[in-house]
Amino acid sequence: MNAQLTYEELAALMKNGAGLTVDPTEMASRPGSAFDEYGLDSLGLLGIVAALENRYGRPLPVDADRCKTPGEFLELVNNTPVTGV
Amino acid sequence: MNTPAHRRSVITGIGVVAPNGTGAGAFWKQTQEGVSVLDRVSREGCENLPLRVAGEVRDFDPVTFIEERFLVQTDRFTHYAMAAADLALDDARLGRADYEGAPFKVGVVTAAGSGGGEFGQRELQRLWGEGSRFVGPYQSIAWFYAASTGQISIRGGFKGPCAVVASDEAGGLDALMHAARSIRRGTDAVVVGAAEAPLAPYSVVCQLGYEDLSLCDEPTRAYRPFTADACGFVPAEGGAMLVVEEETTARDRGARVRAELAGHAATFTGAARWEESRAGLARAIEGALREADCAPEEIDVVFADAMGVPSADRAEALAIADALGPHGRRVPVTAPKTGTGRAYCGAPVLDTAAAVLAMEHGLIPPTPNVFEVCHDLDVVTGRARPAELRTALVLSRGLMGSNAALVLRRPTDPPV
Repeated sequence: MNAQLTYEELAALMKNGAGLTVDPTEMASRPGSAFDEYGLDSLGLLGIVAALENRYGRPLPVDADRCKTPGEFLELVNNTPVTGV
Repeated sequence: MNTPAHRRSVITGIGVVAPNGTGAGAFWKQTQEGVSVLDRVSREGCENLPLRVAGEVRDFDPVTFIEERFLVQTDRFTHYAMAAADLALDDARLGRADYEGAPFKVGVVTAAGSGGGEFGQRELQRLWGEGSRFVGPYQSIAWFYAASTGQISIRGGFKGPCAVVASDEAGGLDALMHAARSIRRGTDAVVVGAAEAPLAPYSVVCQLGYEDLSLCDEPTRAYRPFTADACGFVPAEGGAMLVVEEETTARDRGARVRAELAGHAATFTGAARWEESRAGLARAIEGALREADCAPEEIDVVFADAMGVPSADRAEALAIADALGPHGRRVPVTAPKTGTGRAYCGAPVLDTAAAVLAMEHGLIPPTPNVFEVCHDLDVVTGRARPAELRTALVLSRGLMGSNAALVLRRPTDPPV
């Protein structure tokens, strides 16, 4: 896949889906900080996963909505090879 | 040591988000002046529906009260409840420092009639318009009638007994007694009340099925209970939250004790059976008086349910006479909700707030838009009536058949 999810895009998804204002630079500088610290709960992450699946037109890995940190989430989303449908 | 029987529940804070004002001060000013804010429905998507007149909350900016994450994740009815809870806590001067060390001592109870209809409609439109993958996950909690209790609890860090009362419109009063029971069992404070947001297209269409809904298009004529022109009720949004505390705990922290929740009872007589609500409401009044150890003659003012349906109004007038005897014809009766509409479960909590403020000001607010009363009741019309008020009776009924009565007493000075 060529579209790489960035911290800017993740911050925008957190804003739209869960009403959270998060500084992408801060998130990038501390990729291991928990989603909890930004106020993102499991429903919020589920909404982000669904939004990305709708955007990409394919499912994300099953573990995507269990990621605990932004770094872990980007790693999983960006490094999963596209499988044939 | 307080035994359960001696753990009395008192109101120490009032938070209001109503069509006639946000905050107890604004609400009381409009209420005692008898201002009617009923108006043509202007909410987006509702303008061309058969419901023409309602009580809309217009003077309320949720952004000033609530963080964006809660605005995005919850429905309008929860925005109202959260803001009203904040206002009540401020009014009671009950801050985080007061309960941080004992979060299990503070609970939350709300009543709700319909939940988050506006949020739910938006997500259902996504479901049918775009597909299930486009429904946001917050739908799972935002529409739910328990949402307000949960969000108030989470936001404030209240870990005491939490509940939602779903017992029809009169549930607003039942919630208050639920709080009093928690306090009897050892909880020190409960944030309690109800707020509703039934003015969204889907919710309005649901209400069109109620034959008691007023479809009159003139704001001054649409909701006139106890008159020969009664043509149904006008719905409203908003409501009130109260802080109810154990009396000794409240006094020990220097809180201002506003009123005592002295007695309550509830009955059920079936949907759309207004004639039968006479016996049910009378029984509720008698039960509330008994619990309050209060004689009928001690009731100084009645805040009526005032459904605005001739058979329901007749049943209420007769119930008051049945339960209060000859005093029922003399006691002043008021229904300030004719100026705001009925906010379902929020309505009796707003009446409770108005009753407390009326006792404090020695002033019975009038019943806007009501002039010629056709029942044997002393309805306060026109302007507010000064009176020494020590005890108030608040009545509520729901379209689905619940009846409830609450006796409120002005606080007595603590023993020195």
